[in-house]
Amino acid sequence: MWDSGEGFFGSYYIYWISVLLFIGYGASLITLYLAGIILARRSIKRTKQRSIFLRTEDVVSATDIPSVTIIAPAYNEGLTIIENVKSLLSIQYPYYELILVNDGSKDDSLKKLIKEFDLERQDATFITQPIPTASVKYIYRSRQTKYTHLTVIDKNNGGKADAINAGVNFANTELVIFTDVDCIIEQDAILKMVRPYLEEDDKEIIGCGGGIGIANNSIIKDGILSELRLPSRLIPMHQVVEYIRAFLLGRMAWSEINGLMLISGAFGMYPRKRVIEVGGFNPKTVGEDLELCIRLRMHMEEKKIPYKVVYLPETLCWTEAPSDYNILIRQRDRWARGLWETISLHKKLFLNPKYGKMGLLYYPYWLIFEFGAPVVEFLGIICMIAFGIFGWIDWPFAILLFFAAYLVGCVFSTIAIFMYVKSFDHYTKPKQVVELLLAAYLEPFLYHPFLLFGQIKGYYKKLFDITSGWGNMTRKGFKVVKK
Amino acid sequence: MNEESILLFIKIVFAVLVVYWVSIAVSLIYRKIRRARLKKIETTFADIVSRYLYNDPKDPLTFDEIKKRLVKVGIRQRNKNNIQFLIRLMIRTQRTILGRNFSKLQKLYTEIPPYGVSIKKISSWSWYKKARGIREIYEMNQSQYFDEIFKYRDDKNIYVRREAQIALVVFLGWESLRFLPYLKQNMTLWQQIKIVEKLYDHYPKPELKWLHKAYETEKLFGKKLLMRIIRKYELHAEIGYIIDNLNHEDYEVRETAIYCLQTFAVASSTMEYIKQLYDDIPNTTQQGQLLNYIYENSDIDLDFYLKQLYGDNEELKLSIAEILWNNGYKEKVQEFYYQQYPKATLNVG
Repeated sequence: MWDSGEGFFGSYYIYWISVLLFIGYGASLITLYLAGIILARRSIKRTKQRSIFLRTEDVVSATDIPSVTIIAPAYNEGLTIIENVKSLLSIQYPYYELILVNDGSKDDSLKKLIKEFDLERQDATFITQPIPTASVKYIYRSRQTKYTHLTVIDKNNGGKADAINAGVNFANTELVIFTDVDCIIEQDAILKMVRPYLEEDDKEIIGCGGGIGIANNSIIKDGILSELRLPSRLIPMHQVVEYIRAFLLGRMAWSEINGLMLISGAFGMYPRKRVIEVGGFNPKTVGEDLELCIRLRMHMEEKKIPYKVVYLPETLCWTEAPSDYNILIRQRDRWARGLWETISLHKKLFLNPKYGKMGLLYYPYWLIFEFGAPVVEFLGIICMIAFGIFGWIDWPFAILLFFAAYLVGCVFSTIAIFMYVKSFDHYTKPKQVVELLLAAYLEPFLYHPFLLFGQIKGYYKKLFDITSGWGNMTRKGFKVVKK
Repeated sequence: MNEESILLFIKIVFAVLVVYWVSIAVSLIYRKIRRARLKKIETTFADIVSRYLYNDPKDPLTFDEIKKRLVKVGIRQRNKNNIQFLIRLMIRTQRTILGRNFSKLQKLYTEIPPYGVSIKKISSWSWYKKARGIREIYEMNQSQYFDEIFKYRDDKNIYVRREAQIALVVFLGWESLRFLPYLKQNMTLWQQIKIVEKLYDHYPKPELKWLHKAYETEKLFGKKLLMRIIRKYELHAEIGYIIDNLNHEDYEVRETAIYCLQTFAVASSTMEYIKQLYDDIPNTTQQGQLLNYIYENSDIDLDFYLKQLYGDNEELKLSIAEILWNNGYKEKVQEFYYQQYPKATLNVG
């Protein structure tokens, strides 16, 4: 096999160095995932044990639990905005405010809100702006007493990050929750999210994230998820498995060693004071959630204040996943660009002992395995094609190796599903579990290639400086059942 | 690495996969059976309690009969999970029953299994079991074990000491303030809130002598706990303790003081004193919070607001300007604005 190419640019060495690099990378990744499983398992067990002594019922009637502001940016959400706001207003927490930021929508969102919630326009002259944002036009508040905890900020368009920053400026509570306006939040979510802040002792909690689940095809009644169903289409179904794996294994494991670098923008809680200190979300990146979390951590490291970023394993927020390949690719393209921007913005972290474990361990992990994985995978495909053309590949061996890697992937997904089924009551029917397993096993063929394409597309845009914004994320909307 | 080794690896990985398939199946089946079992225990226990509380003289329910029925649904010494579930049911039931029936229920609990399960847990090496045992003891009102629990009030494990502290509150009431504000280990906000809530639930009538004695504490968490108690019980006469802490050197003590103060309205002389303390607060955010309180609870004191408007605190000037603007002093704001930017055209209002 070597005869044809031996000596050609030292092909023998090129081949084996490439093979060893890919196998080494894969083996490191598997080792990290295994460590992740062990850590996640320990973390879930401890969280469960502790939860017996931290029951929300014990403090639910207390009058001195902290006030919280939910900030939800909205841009051209006119179709579903009323249902979405009603859903966010139905959360059970005695002291919370909802700030909806209308980010210069061109549709009739504001008009609908004014009509439905009987909003009254107020002067915005005296709004303090610790974080600079696009100008705020007016503040709207309801005349009806049942909606006193709703505020609508109408501002000029500045993007999602800018809209959230405007909400942070206006909020006057200790804690702020950032969410997407179309998310369905569990009724007791805030009580659970507040718990780590009430619990903080020697380390300040600078961020708390909760599990995010996919609710395509599920039934929403009065703004509440009344029946969780598995998606009928394959693409969101794969994402159910992907989210379970990422949130339950990945984030729980990182949370266990205080290495969490990302709190999803769909649902995360932060102390307002710290968000203002770091200047809020960065409107120049499309990966604003990751970027904020990293900047907050850097801020605390620089100030030498002990801190923690925590993650709750329970699914507290339900969202609608992209249901076709085009939207999925657009989403992953955006995520990849956000990752690229964040990684390059904070490159000074790389192996920088000044930032402790974050510089020496967590950032390099993100760089090598989160940012690097699509690149390595893409290079792997190119090498396989090139080596195949040169006839250097021992195909039976390669197929066996591929099958082994595939099975390892299946094991990780199966473990994640097992841990989820064992810990939570969301998917309890055998049929649902079998469907989840099948989706997991088909994922490498029917789903993953499109993710890779989206990610490489995003990197390509960044590499060649092709301007691209958030991109349209058309949603079908949940199945809403009215009273 | 050769084909044989890869094949062996594949076999091992496949075996692991099969193990997890079986585990998932077992987990689903177990959960189904377990649910049915728990449902049965719950129904049986509910029936026992209702029949015992409202016993039919013609067909009285005896303790032997109760024990037999419980054994029949799986309440046996070796079935620890079932016993644990029964304890949870007992606690839950007890919480919802008052008066004569409460005493009857306590009598029932002393006669039926499980016997001494909670106190046995306290001697366990596991923090989890220990804390759980303490919780069960105070939830079941088993005050005879108080001495056993008392020694854990400052335990190294946060959950053990927390449960012991709550037990102290449940069993001693206001007298627990003899100990709680002086503990060595810190007390989180969660625990402070929980203590206040438990005290309020069990002892709604304040006993001020214990509160006054506790004022001597120098522990920061102790001060915060006492202020929260004053706030919860709305002890207007004790507001001086909160005001004294408004300019405390610790950020969190001040934060708690400002927060607790917001529950109360004060006399104008006290408000004057609070205004004097305002300048001593070293944090702008906290000054802003106190400013809101002063604004919402007193008449407009032009001198006070103008002093702040022309003072050094740039961050609060906008809030002060807003207060003056909305309360008939637009010209004062304009005057200030022109002074700042003499060449500018005022574009508000």
